Amino acid sequence: MRRRIAAFFESRLPLSDVVNHLKKPLPKHINWLFSLGSMAAFLLILQAVTGAFLALYYSPSPDHAYNSVKYISHEVPFGVFVRGLHHWGSSALVIVVFLHLLRVVLYGSYKAPRELTWMVGVILFLVVLGFGFTGYLLPWDQKAYWATVVGVEIAGTVPLIGDFIAKILRGGAEVGAVTLTRFYTLHTIWLPWLVFVLVGLHLFFVRYYGSAGLPQNRPEEMQGGKPFYPDQLFEDAVAILVLFILLAAAAIFIPVPLEELANPTDASYDPRPEWYFLFLFQLLRYFEGPLEVIGTFVIPTAAIVLLLLLPFLDKRERVPLRKRPVALAVTSLSVLAIVTLTILGGRSPKLETPSEPSIKQSESPSNDANQSEDATPEEDADDTPVFDFN
Amino acid sequence: MTSETHFEQSKRRTFFKSGIAFISGVISLAMAVPLIGAAIAPAFKKGQKKWVDLGLVELLKGARHKKINYTFQAKDGWVQATRERSVYVTDEGGGRFVVFSRVCTHLGCLVRWDEKKRHYHCPCHGGIFDETGNVIAGPPPRPLERPSVKVENGILYVREV
Repeated sequence: MRRRIAAFFESRLPLSDVVNHLKKPLPKHINWLFSLGSMAAFLLILQAVTGAFLALYYSPSPDHAYNSVKYISHEVPFGVFVRGLHHWGSSALVIVVFLHLLRVVLYGSYKAPRELTWMVGVILFLVVLGFGFTGYLLPWDQKAYWATVVGVEIAGTVPLIGDFIAKILRGGAEVGAVTLTRFYTLHTIWLPWLVFVLVGLHLFFVRYYGSAGLPQNRPEEMQGGKPFYPDQLFEDAVAILVLFILLAAAAIFIPVPLEELANPTDASYDPRPEWYFLFLFQLLRYFEGPLEVIGTFVIPTAAIVLLLLLPFLDKRERVPLRKRPVALAVTSLSVLAIVTLTILGGRSPKLETPSEPSIKQSESPSNDANQSEDATPEEDADDTPVFDFN
Repeated sequence: MTSETHFEQSKRRTFFKSGIAFISGVISLAMAVPLIGAAIAPAFKKGQKKWVDLGLVELLKGARHKKINYTFQAKDGWVQATRERSVYVTDEGGGRFVVFSRVCTHLGCLVRWDEKKRHYHCPCHGGIFDETGNVIAGPPPRPLERPSVKVENGILYVREV
């Protein structure tokens, strides 16, 4: 009976064919750096799954977002763990995708015929950063609010169409309810679909052209290595397990920050973005006045265009890294600059401005949220019935 | 390739396959417990029972199937919500009151008292309950719920969940 059921499915869903495809031999001398792609794929799945469960309790409105996140962290069983995995998973995703990109650059794997694999990969990296940007507004705390205000202002400095883009991002003149709904929709529907399509394309190209292997591989070494399944996948699985253990430990032992409720009138707050945008934050400090657009638009755009066009700018034959001093120098300097700017951004002194006493405006966006949070009268205290005899 | 190395290779690959299955299982389980736990938690959450004030007994004297709407505060996730309820109250004399929940025991629609026919009637699927709340027609599987009531200091209270 069991054999008949197996035969039924095998004839209609030939899994063995799929497994055979996965057995395609890789080039020789594949090292652990080639597990970064699988690790990124795992993290994307982890983010999708934990995000889907967080969405069961999250409410994307300024009146409820903050309290719903607090509810997830303090009252939902395992909520703090799931939120922790999602939070630290997002940081891990940025790191892993960046290292994956770096590995491809240093090995020159972006060269023909893999230009499209590379370009789709670069777009995926930008989408991952987009997930970060849209994701950290969602808790609607001070950091979320102010980092988004600044982030959207940065988009607003794009020449000619900046104001238009900023308004589209915000859904209005200010960061508010429409912005939150937009960012939530982008974060949970638009970007996931985009990632789904782009990862599909990326994997198709990877499978179609095969792994680029090491640049020092001789032509005969480009085949005949270990098969992807089970040899390489086992190594990937071990790397993924280590990553998962680290993330689970972080989720358990490092509390995910949740600052005070967003307060658009609090001038004493010193906005800082998530760590992976600190380099950009720091970069902007060096360009003042009319030069601001260089830091907000010119340099980031140039970097993205250069990255995208890298395979067309560097068309020379693939050789080991030691024979590419310029590439090595440019890459090292870029990474050094990003790391230095990130550290400087993290260390930049915060302004010591004391909180100013303020008169609450009745239409302050935070007012409603405050009210909903404060509206927790003692149980039983408000049991006054409203009678309707008829 | 000798048959021995082929055998060793096969053994190694079997180990790899088992390793992949094991690691996938460990991660899936480590994820499934918290994720499913978080998702199904509301099913295990017990509502807090409390007595809700329905009104002065004096005003309810002689009441026969009198509809009373009332509200009370309850926690709804992260929101302190105002819940609305509706019950039918009957004064049985001697300080005893019978309260029927208006929620039909079939599929949760609100029943109505039909004074002419002297029965409760559910507008959704035609369930009919007699004056004592027992089913006399239609699909409801149980009599109408009778929440606990008490009289204290001249006030009628109903037990809310």
